[in-house]
Parts: sequence; structure tokens; C-alpha cells
Amino acid sequence: MKSLSILSTKISAFLLGLVGRGGSLPGSIGLKLDPNILQKLTFDGPVILVTGTNGKTSTANMIADLFDRAGYSVVSNRKGDNLKAGICTALLTNSSLSGKVKANACVLEVDELNIRHILPFIPVRALVVNNFFRDQLDRAREMEQLIDSIEKVLPEYDQELILNGNDPNVIRLALKAPKAHCSYFGIAKNKYSTDQTKEASEGKFCPCCGSKLVYNYYQYSHIGNFYCENCDFKTPVLDVELSDIDLSKENFKLGDMLIHSPYEGMYSMYNCAAVLAVAKHFDVDLKYALEVFAHAPQPKGRNEHFVKEGQECILNLIKNPTGANEVMKVIDKDEQDKVVCIVLNDHEQDGTDVSWIYDTFFEKICKESTKGVVCTGTRAYDMALRIYYENYKGKIEIYNSIDEAIQKCLHSGLKCYAIATYTALLPTRNAIVKEMN
Amino acid sequence: MKHLVNVCWMYHDIMDLYGDKGNIMVLKKRCLDRNIEFHLDTCGIGEQKDLSQYDLIFLGGGADKEQISLIPDLLSRKENIKKAMDEHTFVLLICGGYQLFGQYYIAADGSKIEGLKFYDYYTDTGKEGKRCIGNIILEADLDGLKTKIIGFENHGGQTENVKSPLGKVLKGYGNSFDAGYEGFYDGKILGTYLHGPLLPKNPQVADFVITKAIQKRNPDFSFNDLQPLEDLFEEKARKALLDRFQIK
Repeated sequence: MKSLSILSTKISAFLLGLVGRGGSLPGSIGLKLDPNILQKLTFDGPVILVTGTNGKTSTANMIADLFDRAGYSVVSNRKGDNLKAGICTALLTNSSLSGKVKANACVLEVDELNIRHILPFIPVRALVVNNFFRDQLDRAREMEQLIDSIEKVLPEYDQELILNGNDPNVIRLALKAPKAHCSYFGIAKNKYSTDQTKEASEGKFCPCCGSKLVYNYYQYSHIGNFYCENCDFKTPVLDVELSDIDLSKENFKLGDMLIHSPYEGMYSMYNCAAVLAVAKHFDVDLKYALEVFAHAPQPKGRNEHFVKEGQECILNLIKNPTGANEVMKVIDKDEQDKVVCIVLNDHEQDGTDVSWIYDTFFEKICKESTKGVVCTGTRAYDMALRIYYENYKGKIEIYNSIDEAIQKCLHSGLKCYAIATYTALLPTRNAIVKEMN
Repeated sequence: MKHLVNVCWMYHDIMDLYGDKGNIMVLKKRCLDRNIEFHLDTCGIGEQKDLSQYDLIFLGGGADKEQISLIPDLLSRKENIKKAMDEHTFVLLICGGYQLFGQYYIAADGSKIEGLKFYDYYTDTGKEGKRCIGNIILEADLDGLKTKIIGFENHGGQTENVKSPLGKVLKGYGNSFDAGYEGFYDGKILGTYLHGPLLPKNPQVADFVITKAIQKRNPDFSFNDLQPLEDLFEEKARKALLDRFQIK
């Protein structure tokens, strides 16, 4: 069945490709024909999995670019189809019919709940874990169960764990992986570090003994430097530690070297740290990592700027409180008069529970310089209520159509920040492009 | 006379899952918009507080692991909470808070956590880790105030033996998969699994809670004594969901 499974995946991927589709369907067909196809594949060179709540796609893509620039031939699920079927599509369409993956490096972004379906079945050399936040709780249940599902496949894993040493939820994985070797990345105390956090926070308690975790400082949310007041659980010594963070210039230092981050925000610097930790572990020359940072493509809808005849619009995806809080900080920093357009959908991929908007600091945008808030999407009125109960003094408007909402904002004469949930991102972007082209 | 609502939010730093802080925001704004004084206090593990001094006690939901850490502290306050309830402090409980006022609950890992045992209801865990998840709409009767309550449920816990539920389920699950009824209300406490958060889209429930809180100091105060508010976005947000699920 192996060859048939691979062949069917290739043919369906080719046919779907002709009509501009693809994604996870070819892999699903392959899995139908041979449910055990993954463990029948053979690999050359390193296989690296990347998981975590935020930043999976950009981190995995930068790691893929890293190996690419270092001269490897790389297979990767670059478009972010990160469930088992999507991963099978990526691997099988790049395999020979005998099941040999035609590459000498595989970099796979994997959904957190799918790690258990991938890690035990292919020869993974490194598992990179970025962070664990509350994300679409109705899909992932509570984060605890999500971490549990990863921990369950770690006892036999004997290769490298590359972990964010500033996230207690991530480093606890090491406790469940006695045969693995662990290396850690993170960020040193800097001018943005704080003594306290008000942001929706996980990991208040020690995963070993249940005592309270004490933080020396926070970087953002529950990411920081911590120790248990009762046992020896604490931030480990970091193998890759960025320092001298400058968020306005988007710079950080590695040792004495000043490096420009390709993306805004502290959380993006953690993605860079992960890439550097992978480079270090696999002995890839630092110069290739620097090339990756210098040429990283700006993903659509991640702080994407549009300008036309003096009208400026900035589009951002928001998908959970932590990611959204980072977007709020960016808007808060901007003192110019502005309108904010919020597109809140509650489809499956957005998360059908919209209560997370109350865990997000929308108060940061409810200030004097925000002249109006325009809400749209399937939960426009829930969003309007969120802003209303924040005691926002400006005008709150609601439109049924995303196009109308965007038109309204772009004709206001003010700078526009558009923020959209997952399924709203593309329609919102299309509406902006239509107006600004 | 100027009324006062004095609220204690218990374990606000632990039990803050699913945007429960939105409930406090709503209570606060709906009081201040009517010139009712609003005072918010919090009570964490180990803090010395006399809960019977407050008009309203609020306890939200938390993740299993974090919730377990506050049990000893909560149980040590049992007499004080009883006193507060006897002296007409109203209690609003969401999710985990609701479960903890009953006999016990079984956590997702199978361990049994003792509750305050004020009521006969108890909470088992869903079979094979199944959870009741989705939008939910109830028909409730709060001391004669008939209202539809709209929210989002997300709980593994299956609460059984509920003598006086909060409302009849029109859409969704409720206290358990086949319960048909949701939450608990007996005049002293209002317990529910509803997130969303509960109060922004249910202004009548918010006002009812405010009324119950004011009644601690002013037993003659009634729901109709509250100055009406416009509730423009509230009504439209409600209508959007009632229409979506074709509930009149």
C-alpha cells in the first residue's frame, strides 16, 4: 500500500494544484490508503519539528530558510498546514515511490495536539517548542491537557529538545523526557522587563510540586525568569540568550553582535532565539541565520502596511489574548489620531468562544487618540460591547459587511489600524487592497 | 440615597479563565452609570478578609491544576462564607466556583476534590474526557424576572442532583450532557457554567445581581428601582445570537 499511498497523494496534490488548491487533502487520501505511511518513510539528514502556540509558522519558515541557505535541500510545510494530513502532504509529495523523502533536511511546523501523531513515527532529531498560551480553548481544551498530550510521547524520545527557557509551561517538558538532551533559548533581562504582569497568565504554579512560581522578571505574559519557592524548578541556564532588546529599532544582541529582528515585538525576538538555538545545535554557521533574518519575508496580515495618497492602513491578525496584547501594545505606542477597525469572527478556526476578548487589553486602544472604533464580523456586537464596557468615550460603529467597515475607516482621513481574527483576515485584507489599489 | 455595592472577587489571580473579568467590568459600569457607588476588593490565598462584610462575592473558573491549589484556603473560609450567605451577601459563581459550592467534583485526571458542601449537587467528570462545548441559551426565571440567558459553555464537569436549576436549556447542554437544565439558583447564590462572559450580553442578569447585592443593606430595594439603561449594543448582540439559533 505504501507506493499506492504515495502515488495517490502525489497525483491528487498535482490535480488539486491545477485548480489552485492542495493543503491537507492529498495527505488525507494518502493516509486513507495507508494509515501507517509515516513510519514507512525513510529520511536523510535532520528532521525538525516546531510547535507552540504563537509564532510556529514564522519560526519554522525561518528554520527551513536557515537550512536552505546553508545548502541543504529542504522539505517543509511552509503554508502552515500543520495537522497530520497537511504534514503527510508535504512529506509524501516529496518522496520517491519507495518511500524515501527526497531532501536532506525536513522542517515541519506541527500543531500542538498533533505532536503525538508525528513525533513517535518519524526519526525526529530536534523538537523546538516556542511557548504555550491559551489559544482557542474550545478546540484545544485547557492548556493543561494540551501539554499532557505532548508529555505522553516524550518518555521514549532520545534526541534534542530545543525549548524556550523563559516559559515554565515549555521547560516542564524536559521533566518528562529523561532520554532526551535539552537546550534552551531565551532573552536576558532588559529595559522592557517588568516585576509584575497584568496580562492573562498561565503557569502560576510549579509543575513539579504545585507551589507558587516566583518571577524575578517578566518579559511579556508569563514568559520570564522564574523559580519555584519550594523545589528546584526554575529558568535553566540559557544556551542561546539574546540581550539589549530595543523594540523601537527592532534590534537585539547575541553576545556582542547587534542583530536586526525581521519582525516587531518581543515575541518575535523569541522566534529569532529559537532559530539561533537550532543553528547552534546543528552547527550551522551563524552567517546563514543572519541572512535569514535580513531576508525574512513579511507574512500577510502581520503588521502589514498599506499606503495610498497619504492614507495609511496597518493590518494585523489577532488569534488569542497574548498575540492580541502584543498588537495592542503596537497601537498604544502610536500617538497619532486613528480609527481602529476590529473584525471578530467566531468560526471554528477563530475559536467559537469569543470570551477571550475580555482577556485582551483592548483598553490600550480606548484612548483619546482613537477617534473611532468600527466593529464588524460575525460577533461585531460582542466586540462593540467589549469596547463599550471599557468606558470608551469615542464613537463605536457597527457594520454588517467587512467591505463597508473598511471603506468607512479608509475614508475617515485618519490612520487606520485593522485587526482581524483568522477567518476574517483574508476578507479584510481584500477589502483594504480593493480600496488602496 | 446613594446605594453602594461592595464586591469581593475571590482568587481573582487564579480563577480568571475565559474572560471572567468582563463580569466585573459590567457590574461596575452598570452601577456607576446609575450613580451607585461600586467598590471592588479581591481576596487571595491566605488573605485575612471577613467575607460577610461584602454585598456580593464573585468566584470565577480556573484550569483544573490551578483551581486545586486554592482548595485548602477556600475550605478554611467555609464558616465565614456560610455567615455571609446567612447575612444576605449574594454569591455569583461561574464554572469552577459553581462546582466548589457543591459536594465535590472529579477533576479530569480522576482525582476527587471536596467542595464546600453547602448544596447537594456534585460534579463528575465527562466520560472519556468529553466536554460540553458551545453556545448556550437558557430560559430563566429569577424570582419572577423571566429572561433568556445567552453564553458559552466549556466544561468537562457533569453536575448532577441540582435541585433548583437556573434555567431550562433552549440550545446547548447545561449541567451535564443530557441535563436539559443549567446552573443553580436559590435566592442566595447564582451558579452557572456560562462564560462569554456571562454579564455583558445578559444585562437583566447583571441588574438582577446588582439588585440582590443592594438588598443586603436595603432589603426593600427591588429590581424596578434600578434606573433603566439604554442597552443598545446589548440588545443587538442578543438578537444576533437568538436569530442565529432561531430562538424567539
